[in-house]
Amino acid sequence: MSKRPILVVDDDPTILATVAEALDLEGFPVVTATNGAEALEVLETEAKHPLVVLLDMRMPVLDGWGFMRVVRERGLSLSVVVMTAAADARRWATEIGASGVLAKPFELDELIAAVQSYVSPKSRRES
Amino acid sequence: MRRVRLVGDFTRVPALLLRAVEIGLVLSFVAVIAIPPPLPTLVVVGVVAYLVAVMSYDSWAFIREARYTRGVTRRRMQAAALASLAVVLALVCAGFASVLPGLSWIWDELSAVLGLASAIGYFVAFAPPTWLRRAWQEPEVRALLAQAVRLAGQASVADIIRDLEQATADAFGAPRALIALFDADARSLRVDGHELPPALAGAWRQQRASLIQTDFSAIETGQLQALADLDARAALSAPISTNTRQIGELIVLAPRSPLFANSDLELIELFANQAAVIFESKALIDQSAEVRAREEAARLKEDFLSSAAHDLKTPLTGIVTQAQVLQRRAQRDPSAPADRVGLDRLLEQSHRLKDLVLKLLDVSRLEHGSLIGERVHEDLGELVQHLAAQERARWKRVNIVAEPSVTALVDTPRFEQVITNLVENALKYSSPPSPVRVEIRHEGDDARVSVHDQGIGIPIEDQAFVFERFHRARNVDDRRFAGMGLGLYIARGIVEQHGGRMWVESSAGHGSTFHVSLPACTAEVAAPETAPDR
Repeated sequence: MSKRPILVVDDDPTILATVAEALDLEGFPVVTATNGAEALEVLETEAKHPLVVLLDMRMPVLDGWGFMRVVRERGLSLSVVVMTAAADARRWATEIGASGVLAKPFELDELIAAVQSYVSPKSRRES
Repeated sequence: MRRVRLVGDFTRVPALLLRAVEIGLVLSFVAVIAIPPPLPTLVVVGVVAYLVAVMSYDSWAFIREARYTRGVTRRRMQAAALASLAVVLALVCAGFASVLPGLSWIWDELSAVLGLASAIGYFVAFAPPTWLRRAWQEPEVRALLAQAVRLAGQASVADIIRDLEQATADAFGAPRALIALFDADARSLRVDGHELPPALAGAWRQQRASLIQTDFSAIETGQLQALADLDARAALSAPISTNTRQIGELIVLAPRSPLFANSDLELIELFANQAAVIFESKALIDQSAEVRAREEAARLKEDFLSSAAHDLKTPLTGIVTQAQVLQRRAQRDPSAPADRVGLDRLLEQSHRLKDLVLKLLDVSRLEHGSLIGERVHEDLGELVQHLAAQERARWKRVNIVAEPSVTALVDTPRFEQVITNLVENALKYSSPPSPVRVEIRHEGDDARVSVHDQGIGIPIEDQAFVFERFHRARNVDDRRFAGMGLGLYIARGIVEQHGGRMWVESSAGHGSTFHVSLPACTAEVAAPETAPDR
């Protein structure tokens, strides 16, 4: 049985590639999108519902808030971790109903731990 | 003679005229006393002619004075002129009565009415009851009260002082009013930057309204030319102060003291209080503007720091994560070949970070005015050609059109930074194979460098902001065009610190042209000096 993928959404191509590579190294399947609109497409085409979405907030075309609005409208249930360099990270996460925050710059271990917490429900509250 | 003295209280009467009037009066008395009645017609005619002449002069003098005075004084002068005229007419009537005795009752009635009119006229002119004075002053008082809000809103204190002085002089019918402000540093009252003579500072010292009558031409007026010119002999003054602050003194100057009445002390206090309110309002308006400016500066700084922090964190995230991925790979499989792609990403983010840190340092230097170093004469055409030769690989699309010997005084590396920034922007925001054209030419007395592209352009509404820190036009897709929004801000700063200008012409979808204009050096100046100027 193949695992559910992790959806990484970030407009910076280098960060996107690096985060994807790091997660891949730990054995997580990864799908990527460079903005909210692409992420919605991925949700439609991908057979498996993502385990968690790592979501940048400020992006061209469709930003994090816009993406979450559409997700709510479609009645989708998603686990979202806000991944941003902005000082308002925590407030934004609360605003959009995200379950976690990864403030840039983060350590590799923090990234892995944030994703790992969604794999087994027991360790979910640890981060 | 008393008539003429009275006139002299308000206006200047030549001394010779005063003597002549005195002699006429003595002669009239002598004639009336020495000659037994009935008086010869010649004497009567002489005395009447004398009186008519004196009264006519009075009337004329008051009318003349009324033209030069204002407010309540003008109204008093007009009343006095009318009173004098009534006396002249009464005398003329008396004359007619003696010439035409048949109609004497008409002349008697008429001269009685005229006599009454003149008495009333002199009364209101020389000793107007307080209520009449107040009524005469009312229009000017009203005008001042109506102006209060406008006065407090004026840009400079000097304007407020000028208007207040005018309004006060108008209300008192005096030729001049002065406002002396207390200078805390000099510990003295000052008018137009000069110290107020101590003789005029009584109201300030006692902190209540006062009337001083003295010959100001005798006191040391110092640099206060207004005072010396005025030949003032009376000053009405009141302190301008609030409960917490002593601001200064309001002074009304007049050539003669009868211009003022005791009730004017209350009025000048009212004016001084009004002035205090206006000055206090002005101080508060200035203070709040200052606070707003400080808050705005603090907010801009805050915005800058948070934008800078955000932009530093992005490449830092890439570096930290990528380095740890490389490390983890190496730990798990020490014999694996180097991860070239990962290393390239690490380097790319490192360069991005370095670029941003250097730009932030430039911004800091720019804002301290220390971005520009030593300047030398450069042929701008050659400078651009040289840059293009260095960047041959990336500047393939760049065409250079240069007039010969367009020379300016520049900090060479900084000016190269400006040109590089503009050309890189032009390449970034336009697609191959459209060319980027760099033109170097003379434009009047200026050396002009223009960088033109046929790229995405800049929407009109963004053009005013493209030179601001961290501003990026709304049609810039962050994913396609990486950037910090500091390049143009720094470039314009460099150009301005060279004494030049930088601006953009563009429309969305039709490319952009950035112009740099510097003061040009002529070939003669550019050449080494051969002989000292003569």
